[in-house]
Amino acid sequence: MIQQTVEITNKLGLHARASAKLSHLANAYQADVFLIYDGDRVNAKSLLGILTLAASVGNSISIEADGSDEEKAVTEIIALFSAKFDEES
Amino acid sequence: MIKALVITHGNLGKELIAVAEGILETKSDIDCICFDWKEDGTRSVQVVEGFLKKYKGSNIIIFTDMFGGSPTNICFKFLKKNIEIITGVNLPGLLKYLTYREKNLSFKAIVKEIKRGAIDGINIVGEYLGEKKS
Repeated sequence: MIQQTVEITNKLGLHARASAKLSHLANAYQADVFLIYDGDRVNAKSLLGILTLAASVGNSISIEADGSDEEKAVTEIIALFSAKFDEES
Repeated sequence: MIKALVITHGNLGKELIAVAEGILETKSDIDCICFDWKEDGTRSVQVVEGFLKKYKGSNIIIFTDMFGGSPTNICFKFLKKNIEIITGVNLPGLLKYLTYREKNLSFKAIVKEIKRGAIDGINIVGEYLGEKKS
């Protein structure tokens, strides 16, 4: 199991479309993937679960993955955050 | 594969589907009936019958806007083991359907989970954030 923390830098935070991209990506891995934010822990493969976090810009969020492709999962999810979900130039 | 039909008063269902597709950045195969204010239900029943005939043998969820309204009432007679109606359609419910329908679970379990997703999507934000922060 690995865990890494990343800062949310896209202006709108984990809003609907960003959460959809994130859950879609998380579903591509065998590993179980969770997000930890402000004391809550949700399944990153659940769009509605991610939305309950109401995670906003400027805050940190942890990605936890457990499974055969856990490293790839965390690396690529962090890349998605770093790319601001491809919604800002 | 589960198939879905949304029936609402006016264009509500059509717009809900369009927004859900926009969020997921995909086109869905959800069918829609916009129940006309002036109709007596005959036309909509015929469209429902056509939809059910097209997907005969499939598990089908009919989402309607409100229990007790005509879009729901005209569907009661179609209830079967493989045809269920979920009322109070909302965006979280449709998103849950689109992201959950292929799970390896029974039809009944998926229907219950969609209902739960729809209900969990309704929050009093002040209370919810208050609970989160406290």
